[in-house]
Amino acid sequence: MRHVYLDQYSQISSPLNRLSPIFKVVTFVTVVLFIVLTRPGSFFAFSLYGLLMAVLVLLSRVPVIFILKRSLLVIPFVLAIAAFNLFSSHGGIQLFLSILIKSCMSIVCLILLVATTRFSELLKAFEKLGCPKIITMIMSFMYRYIFVIEDELMKMKQAKESRSVGGSGFFHAKALANMLGTLFIRSYERAEAVYLAMCARGFDGDVKK
Amino acid sequence: MHIPDGFLSPGVWGSAWIFSAGVIGFCVKKTKQILKDRMVPLMGVMSAFIFAAQMLNFPVLGGTSGHLLGGVLAAVLLGPYAAAIVITVVLITQCLIFQDGGLTALGANILNMSFLGAMGGYFIYNILRRTLGGVKGIMTGTAVAAWSSVIIAASACAVELALSGTTPLSVALPVMAFVHMFIGIGEAIITCLVVGFVLRVRPDLIYTKEK
Repeated sequence: MRHVYLDQYSQISSPLNRLSPIFKVVTFVTVVLFIVLTRPGSFFAFSLYGLLMAVLVLLSRVPVIFILKRSLLVIPFVLAIAAFNLFSSHGGIQLFLSILIKSCMSIVCLILLVATTRFSELLKAFEKLGCPKIITMIMSFMYRYIFVIEDELMKMKQAKESRSVGGSGFFHAKALANMLGTLFIRSYERAEAVYLAMCARGFDGDVKK
Repeated sequence: MHIPDGFLSPGVWGSAWIFSAGVIGFCVKKTKQILKDRMVPLMGVMSAFIFAAQMLNFPVLGGTSGHLLGGVLAAVLLGPYAAAIVITVVLITQCLIFQDGGLTALGANILNMSFLGAMGGYFIYNILRRTLGGVKGIMTGTAVAAWSSVIIAASACAVELALSGTTPLSVALPVMAFVHMFIGIGEAIITCLVVGFVLRVRPDLIYTKEK
Protein backbone atom coordinates (compact mmCIF):
# COMPACT_ATOMS: atom_id res chain seq x y z
CA MET A 1 0.00 0.00 0.00
CA ARG A 2 1.07 3.56 -0.56
CA HIS A 3 2.44 5.79 2.15
CA VAL A 4 3.49 9.36 2.21
CA TYR A 5 7.22 9.24 2.51
CA LEU A 6 8.25 11.49 5.29
CA ASP A 7 11.74 12.37 4.16
CA GLN A 8 11.03 12.18 0.46
CA TYR A 9 13.41 15.01 -0.48
CA SER A 10 16.32 13.73 1.59
CA GLN A 11 17.88 12.04 -1.44
CA ILE A 12 18.00 15.01 -3.83
CA SER A 13 21.26 16.86 -4.09
CA SER A 14 21.08 20.41 -2.82
CA PRO A 15 23.38 22.62 -0.77
CA LEU A 16 21.16 22.08 2.27
CA ASN A 17 21.12 18.30 1.89
CA ARG A 18 24.88 18.08 1.78
CA LEU A 19 25.40 19.84 5.11
CA SER A 20 26.16 17.59 8.06
CA PRO A 21 22.99 16.65 9.97
CA ILE A 22 24.41 17.88 13.30
CA PHE A 23 25.19 21.29 11.82
CA LYS A 24 21.71 21.45 10.31
CA VAL A 25 19.96 20.48 13.57
CA VAL A 26 21.94 23.06 15.56
CA THR A 27 21.33 25.79 12.97
CA PHE A 28 17.61 25.15 12.57
CA VAL A 29 17.01 24.87 16.31
CA THR A 30 18.88 28.16 16.79
CA VAL A 31 16.80 29.82 14.10
CA VAL A 32 13.58 28.55 15.73
CA LEU A 33 14.81 29.87 19.10
CA PHE A 34 15.53 33.28 17.59
CA ILE A 35 12.09 33.39 16.00
CA VAL A 36 10.34 32.33 19.20
CA LEU A 37 12.29 34.75 21.38
CA THR A 38 11.63 37.80 19.18
CA ARG A 39 9.43 40.40 20.86
CA PRO A 40 5.87 40.42 19.49
CA GLY A 41 5.34 43.37 17.18
CA SER A 42 8.89 43.65 15.83
CA PHE A 43 7.79 43.25 12.27
CA PHE A 44 11.18 44.39 10.91
CA ALA A 45 12.83 41.34 12.48
CA PHE A 46 10.06 39.14 11.10
CA SER A 47 10.65 40.34 7.58
CA LEU A 48 14.38 39.56 7.96
CA TYR A 49 13.48 36.04 9.11
CA GLY A 50 11.13 35.79 6.15
CA LEU A 51 14.03 36.63 3.85
CA LEU A 52 16.20 34.01 5.56
CA MET A 53 13.43 31.43 5.12
CA ALA A 54 13.16 32.25 1.42
CA VAL A 55 16.92 31.78 0.98
CA LEU A 56 16.82 28.48 2.87
CA VAL A 57 13.91 27.21 0.79
CA LEU A 58 15.82 28.06 -2.39
CA LEU A 59 18.98 26.37 -1.08
CA SER A 60 17.06 23.24 -0.11
CA ARG A 61 15.49 22.80 -3.57
CA VAL A 62 12.40 21.41 -1.87
CA PRO A 63 9.37 22.34 -4.02
CA VAL A 64 7.53 25.32 -2.55
CA ILE A 65 4.21 23.59 -3.18
CA PHE A 66 5.31 20.71 -0.90
CA ILE A 67 6.12 23.16 1.91
CA LEU A 68 2.79 24.92 1.41
CA LYS A 69 0.86 21.66 1.46
CA ARG A 70 2.60 20.49 4.61
CA SER A 71 2.06 23.81 6.40
CA LEU A 72 -1.59 23.88 5.43
CA LEU A 73 -2.06 20.66 7.42
CA VAL A 74 -1.17 22.37 10.71
CA ILE A 75 -2.08 26.00 10.19
CA PRO A 76 -5.83 25.54 10.94
CA PHE A 77 -4.86 24.26 14.41
CA VAL A 78 -2.47 27.16 14.91
CA LEU A 79 -5.24 29.58 13.93
CA ALA A 80 -7.65 27.97 16.37
CA ILE A 81 -5.29 28.53 19.30
CA ALA A 82 -4.19 31.95 18.06
CA ALA A 83 -7.83 33.11 18.01
CA PHE A 84 -7.66 33.27 21.83
CA ASN A 85 -5.06 36.06 21.53
CA LEU A 86 -7.64 38.38 20.02
CA PHE A 87 -9.26 38.51 23.45
CA SER A 88 -6.03 39.67 25.06
CA SER A 89 -6.27 43.03 26.82
CA HIS A 90 -3.14 44.60 25.34
CA GLY A 91 -2.74 44.79 21.54
CA GLY A 92 -4.87 41.82 20.54
CA ILE A 93 -4.48 42.07 16.75
CA GLN A 94 -0.75 42.80 16.87
CA LEU A 95 -0.16 39.88 19.24
CA PHE A 96 -2.31 37.62 17.10
CA LEU A 97 -0.33 38.47 13.94
CA SER A 98 3.07 38.20 15.65
CA ILE A 99 2.31 34.80 17.10
CA LEU A 100 0.88 33.56 13.83
CA ILE A 101 4.01 34.66 11.95
CA LYS A 102 6.29 33.10 14.56
CA SER A 103 4.44 29.78 14.43
CA CYS A 104 4.35 29.62 10.66
CA MET A 105 8.06 30.40 10.36
CA SER A 106 9.00 27.79 12.94
CA ILE A 107 6.85 25.29 11.06
CA VAL A 108 8.61 26.08 7.76
CA CYS A 109 11.98 25.68 9.54
CA LEU A 110 11.08 22.24 10.83
CA ILE A 111 9.63 21.17 7.47
CA LEU A 112 12.92 22.14 5.79
CA LEU A 113 15.03 20.33 8.37
CA VAL A 114 13.04 17.11 8.22
CA ALA A 115 12.50 17.16 4.46
CA THR A 116 16.19 17.48 3.68
CA THR A 117 17.58 15.07 6.26
CA ARG A 118 17.12 11.32 6.37
CA PHE A 119 15.25 10.33 9.52
CA SER A 120 17.98 7.95 10.68
CA GLU A 121 20.59 10.69 10.24
CA LEU A 122 18.38 13.10 12.14
CA LEU A 123 18.13 10.67 15.06
CA LYS A 124 21.90 10.12 15.01
CA ALA A 125 22.41 13.88 15.17
CA PHE A 126 20.01 14.19 18.12
CA GLU A 127 21.87 11.41 19.90
CA LYS A 128 25.23 13.11 19.36
CA LEU A 129 23.74 16.34 20.70
CA GLY A 130 22.81 14.68 23.98
CA CYS A 131 19.37 13.15 23.46
CA PRO A 132 19.25 9.92 25.54
CA LYS A 133 20.12 6.87 23.45
CA ILE A 134 17.13 4.91 24.70
CA ILE A 135 14.74 7.50 23.24
CA THR A 136 16.47 7.62 19.85
CA MET A 137 16.55 3.81 19.77
CA ILE A 138 12.81 3.61 20.46
CA MET A 139 12.20 6.29 17.84
CA SER A 140 14.15 4.47 15.17
CA PHE A 141 12.16 1.31 15.92
CA MET A 142 8.97 3.25 15.75
CA TYR A 143 9.91 4.80 12.44
CA ARG A 144 10.62 1.35 11.04
CA TYR A 145 7.30 -0.10 12.19
CA ILE A 146 4.99 2.83 11.43
CA PHE A 147 4.89 1.66 7.84
CA VAL A 148 4.29 -1.99 8.72
CA ILE A 149 1.51 -1.27 11.20
CA GLU A 150 -0.11 1.40 9.08
CA ASP A 151 -0.16 -1.10 6.24
CA GLU A 152 -1.88 -3.65 8.43
CA LEU A 153 -4.47 -1.10 9.52
CA MET A 154 -5.16 -0.02 5.95
CA LYS A 155 -5.63 -3.62 4.86
CA MET A 156 -8.05 -4.27 7.72
CA LYS A 157 -9.95 -1.13 6.85
CA GLN A 158 -10.15 -2.06 3.20
CA ALA A 159 -11.41 -5.54 4.10
CA LYS A 160 -14.02 -4.06 6.41
CA GLU A 161 -15.18 -1.55 3.85
CA SER A 162 -15.50 -4.14 1.12
CA ARG A 163 -17.78 -6.15 3.40
CA SER A 164 -19.90 -3.42 4.94
CA VAL A 165 -19.75 -0.60 2.37
CA GLY A 166 -19.44 2.45 4.52
CA GLY A 167 -21.78 1.97 7.43
CA SER A 168 -22.50 4.44 10.13
CA GLY A 169 -23.46 4.90 13.73
CA PHE A 170 -22.51 2.90 16.77
CA PHE A 171 -22.14 -0.41 14.93
CA HIS A 172 -19.58 1.14 12.62
CA ALA A 173 -17.66 2.65 15.51
CA LYS A 174 -17.67 -0.71 17.25
CA ALA A 175 -16.27 -2.46 14.19
CA LEU A 176 -13.52 0.15 13.95
CA ALA A 177 -12.73 -0.19 17.65
CA ASN A 178 -12.51 -3.97 17.34
CA MET A 179 -10.12 -3.35 14.48
CA LEU A 180 -7.93 -1.24 16.73
CA GLY A 181 -8.09 -3.95 19.39
CA THR A 182 -6.96 -6.54 16.88
CA LEU A 183 -4.26 -4.19 15.68
CA PHE A 184 -3.01 -3.78 19.25
CA ILE A 185 -2.83 -7.54 19.81
CA ARG A 186 -1.08 -8.10 16.49
CA SER A 187 1.36 -5.28 17.18
CA TYR A 188 2.11 -6.64 20.64
CA GLU A 189 2.73 -10.11 19.25
CA ARG A 190 4.86 -8.62 16.50
CA ALA A 191 6.94 -6.77 19.09
CA GLU A 192 7.50 -10.03 21.00
CA ALA A 193 8.52 -11.79 17.78
CA VAL A 194 10.86 -8.94 16.88
CA TYR A 195 12.42 -9.10 20.33
CA LEU A 196 12.97 -12.86 20.09
CA ALA A 197 14.46 -12.49 16.62
CA MET A 198 16.80 -9.82 17.99
CA CYS A 199 17.80 -12.08 20.89
CA ALA A 200 18.56 -14.86 18.45
CA ARG A 201 20.96 -12.47 16.75
CA GLY A 202 22.77 -11.57 19.96
CA PHE A 203 20.82 -8.51 21.17
CA ASP A 204 21.58 -7.66 24.78
CA GLY A 205 19.70 -4.40 25.24
CA ASP A 206 22.01 -2.24 23.18
CA VAL A 207 22.23 -1.61 19.45
CA LYS A 208 25.82 -1.86 18.31
CA LYS A 209 27.33 0.20 15.58
CA MET B 1 -4.41 20.57 21.58
CA HIS B 2 -0.78 20.45 20.43
CA ILE B 3 0.71 23.84 21.28
CA PRO B 4 2.71 25.27 18.35
CA ASP B 5 5.87 27.36 18.65
CA GLY B 6 5.54 31.02 19.52
CA PHE B 7 2.62 30.75 21.93
CA LEU B 8 4.45 30.15 25.18
CA SER B 9 6.80 32.49 26.99
CA PRO B 10 10.39 31.30 27.54
CA GLY B 11 9.77 30.85 31.26
CA VAL B 12 6.82 28.55 30.65
CA TRP B 13 8.26 26.40 27.89
CA GLY B 14 11.67 26.29 29.57
CA SER B 15 10.32 25.00 32.86
CA ALA B 16 7.96 22.60 31.06
CA TRP B 17 10.96 21.16 29.20
CA ILE B 18 12.93 20.66 32.42
CA PHE B 19 9.97 19.08 34.21
CA SER B 20 9.12 16.77 31.30
CA ALA B 21 12.72 15.67 30.88
CA GLY B 22 12.75 14.69 34.56
CA VAL B 23 9.47 12.78 34.31
CA ILE B 24 10.56 10.90 31.20
CA GLY B 25 13.90 10.06 32.76
CA PHE B 26 12.07 8.57 35.74
CA CYS B 27 9.65 6.65 33.47
CA VAL B 28 12.51 5.22 31.41
CA LYS B 29 14.15 3.97 34.61
CA LYS B 30 10.90 2.40 35.89
CA THR B 31 10.05 0.77 32.55
CA LYS B 32 13.53 -0.65 32.21
CA GLN B 33 13.12 -2.38 35.58
CA ILE B 34 9.91 -4.05 34.40
CA LEU B 35 10.67 -4.83 30.76
CA LYS B 36 14.51 -5.12 30.83
CA ASP B 37 15.91 -5.48 27.31
CA ARG B 38 12.45 -6.13 25.81
CA MET B 39 11.84 -2.44 26.35
CA VAL B 40 13.24 -0.97 23.13
CA PRO B 41 11.41 -3.18 20.59
CA LEU B 42 8.19 -3.22 22.61
CA MET B 43 8.06 0.54 23.16
CA GLY B 44 9.01 1.17 19.53
CA VAL B 45 6.30 -1.04 18.07
CA MET B 46 3.70 0.20 20.59
CA SER B 47 4.50 3.81 19.69
CA ALA B 48 3.96 2.92 16.05
CA PHE B 49 0.64 1.33 17.05
CA ILE B 50 -0.60 4.46 18.86
CA PHE B 51 0.63 6.58 15.95
CA ALA B 52 -1.34 4.42 13.49
CA ALA B 53 -4.38 4.29 15.78
CA GLN B 54 -4.51 8.09 15.85
CA MET B 55 -4.86 8.10 12.08
CA LEU B 56 -8.07 6.07 12.05
CA ASN B 57 -11.06 8.39 11.81
CA PHE B 58 -14.19 7.55 13.74
CA PRO B 59 -17.60 8.88 12.74
CA VAL B 60 -18.87 11.34 15.34
CA LEU B 61 -22.35 12.81 15.67
CA GLY B 62 -23.47 15.03 12.81
CA GLY B 63 -21.15 13.72 10.11
CA THR B 64 -17.91 14.99 11.61
CA SER B 65 -15.11 12.64 12.48
CA GLY B 66 -12.58 12.46 15.23
CA HIS B 67 -9.66 10.31 16.14
CA LEU B 68 -8.36 8.61 19.24
CA LEU B 69 -5.73 10.36 21.35
CA GLY B 70 -4.72 7.13 23.02
CA GLY B 71 -3.17 8.31 26.29
CA VAL B 72 -5.47 6.32 28.56
CA LEU B 73 -5.63 3.41 26.10
CA ALA B 74 -1.84 3.12 26.30
CA ALA B 75 -1.92 3.48 30.10
CA VAL B 76 -4.56 0.75 30.59
CA LEU B 77 -2.75 -1.65 28.27
CA LEU B 78 0.90 -0.91 29.09
CA GLY B 79 0.91 0.74 32.52
CA PRO B 80 1.56 4.38 33.41
CA TYR B 81 5.33 4.57 32.91
CA ALA B 82 5.46 2.76 29.58
CA ALA B 83 2.45 4.74 28.37
CA ALA B 84 4.17 8.03 29.19
CA ILE B 85 7.18 6.96 27.12
CA VAL B 86 5.01 5.79 24.21
CA ILE B 87 3.00 9.02 24.14
CA THR B 88 6.18 11.09 24.43
CA VAL B 89 7.77 9.29 21.49
CA VAL B 90 4.58 9.80 19.47
CA LEU B 91 4.60 13.52 20.35
CA ILE B 92 8.25 13.91 19.33
CA THR B 93 7.56 12.17 16.03
CA GLN B 94 4.47 14.28 15.37
CA CYS B 95 6.45 17.42 16.11
CA LEU B 96 9.23 16.40 13.72
CA ILE B 97 7.21 14.83 10.94
CA PHE B 98 3.92 16.72 10.85
CA GLN B 99 5.07 19.88 12.69
CA ASP B 100 2.07 19.17 14.91
CA GLY B 101 3.17 20.89 18.10
CA GLY B 102 6.22 23.13 18.20
CA LEU B 103 9.80 22.31 19.10
CA THR B 104 10.03 24.75 21.98
CA ALA B 105 6.51 23.81 23.08
CA LEU B 106 7.35 20.09 23.03
CA GLY B 107 8.09 20.07 26.75
CA ALA B 108 4.68 21.56 27.49
CA ASN B 109 2.97 19.12 25.16
CA ILE B 110 4.72 16.20 26.87
CA LEU B 111 3.67 17.61 30.24
CA ASN B 112 0.03 17.92 29.13
CA MET B 113 -0.44 14.68 27.27
CA SER B 114 2.13 12.23 28.64
CA PHE B 115 2.30 13.24 32.27
CA LEU B 116 -1.15 14.71 32.96
CA GLY B 117 -2.99 12.82 30.20
CA ALA B 118 -1.55 9.31 30.30
CA MET B 119 -0.10 9.06 33.84
CA GLY B 120 -2.84 11.20 35.39
CA GLY B 121 -5.42 9.17 33.49
CA TYR B 122 -3.92 5.96 34.84
CA PHE B 123 -4.12 7.35 38.38
CA ILE B 124 -7.88 7.92 37.98
CA TYR B 125 -8.35 4.54 36.28
CA ASN B 126 -6.47 2.73 39.01
CA ILE B 127 -8.55 4.21 41.83
CA LEU B 128 -11.82 3.20 40.15
CA ARG B 129 -10.53 -0.23 39.17
CA ARG B 130 -9.49 -0.95 42.75
CA THR B 131 -12.70 0.29 44.39
CA LEU B 132 -15.13 -1.34 41.95
CA GLY B 133 -13.03 -4.38 41.06
CA GLY B 134 -13.32 -6.87 38.21
CA VAL B 135 -14.40 -6.15 34.66
CA LYS B 136 -16.82 -3.48 35.84
CA GLY B 137 -13.97 -1.65 37.54
CA ILE B 138 -11.75 -1.80 34.47
CA MET B 139 -14.46 -0.53 32.13
CA THR B 140 -15.73 2.25 34.41
CA GLY B 141 -12.19 3.28 35.22
CA THR B 142 -11.27 3.39 31.53
CA ALA B 143 -14.32 5.47 30.60
CA VAL B 144 -13.92 8.03 33.39
CA ALA B 145 -10.14 8.23 32.98
CA ALA B 146 -10.34 8.68 29.19
CA TRP B 147 -12.94 11.42 29.50
CA SER B 148 -11.18 13.33 32.25
CA SER B 149 -7.67 12.93 30.79
CA VAL B 150 -8.75 14.85 27.68
CA ILE B 151 -10.23 17.66 29.77
CA ILE B 152 -7.23 17.79 32.12
CA ALA B 153 -4.80 18.01 29.21
CA ALA B 154 -6.84 20.73 27.49
CA SER B 155 -7.18 22.75 30.70
CA ALA B 156 -3.45 22.47 31.35
CA CYS B 157 -2.88 23.77 27.83
CA ALA B 158 -5.15 26.76 28.56
CA VAL B 159 -3.35 27.46 31.84
CA GLU B 160 0.07 27.39 30.13
CA LEU B 161 -1.16 29.79 27.44
CA ALA B 162 -2.49 32.10 30.13
CA LEU B 163 0.75 31.92 32.16
CA SER B 164 2.60 33.02 29.04
CA GLY B 165 0.55 36.21 29.07
CA THR B 166 -0.74 35.83 25.52
CA THR B 167 -4.22 34.57 26.34
CA PRO B 168 -6.62 35.61 29.06
CA LEU B 169 -7.44 32.63 31.29
CA SER B 170 -11.05 33.70 31.61
CA VAL B 171 -11.54 33.03 27.89
CA ALA B 172 -9.20 30.12 27.17
CA LEU B 173 -10.00 27.85 30.12
CA PRO B 174 -13.79 27.70 29.79
CA VAL B 175 -13.66 27.37 25.99
CA MET B 176 -10.99 24.65 26.03
CA ALA B 177 -12.66 22.70 28.85
CA PHE B 178 -16.10 22.99 27.27
CA VAL B 179 -15.02 21.87 23.79
CA HIS B 180 -13.03 18.98 25.20
CA MET B 181 -15.94 17.77 27.28
CA PHE B 182 -17.43 16.59 23.99
CA ILE B 183 -14.16 15.38 22.50
CA GLY B 184 -13.69 13.45 25.75
CA ILE B 185 -16.96 11.56 25.26
CA GLY B 186 -15.70 10.25 21.92
CA GLU B 187 -12.37 9.37 23.48
CA ALA B 188 -14.09 7.50 26.32
CA ILE B 189 -16.33 5.51 23.97
CA ILE B 190 -13.52 4.46 21.63
CA THR B 191 -11.11 3.66 24.47
CA CYS B 192 -13.78 1.54 26.19
CA LEU B 193 -14.60 -0.35 23.02
CA VAL B 194 -10.94 -1.13 22.35
CA VAL B 195 -10.20 -2.09 25.96
CA GLY B 196 -13.40 -4.18 26.03
CA PHE B 197 -12.26 -6.04 22.94
CA VAL B 198 -8.79 -6.75 24.34
CA LEU B 199 -10.38 -7.81 27.63
CA ARG B 200 -12.48 -10.42 25.82
CA VAL B 201 -9.76 -11.69 23.50
CA ARG B 202 -6.46 -11.35 25.35
CA PRO B 203 -7.22 -10.34 28.95
CA ASP B 204 -3.61 -11.15 29.86
CA LEU B 205 -2.46 -8.09 27.89
CA ILE B 206 -4.25 -5.62 30.20
CA TYR B 207 -1.65 -4.11 32.51
CA THR B 208 -1.73 -5.20 36.12
CA LYS B 209 0.85 -4.22 38.65
CA GLU B 210 1.46 -7.80 39.79
CA LYS B 211 2.63 -8.96 36.36
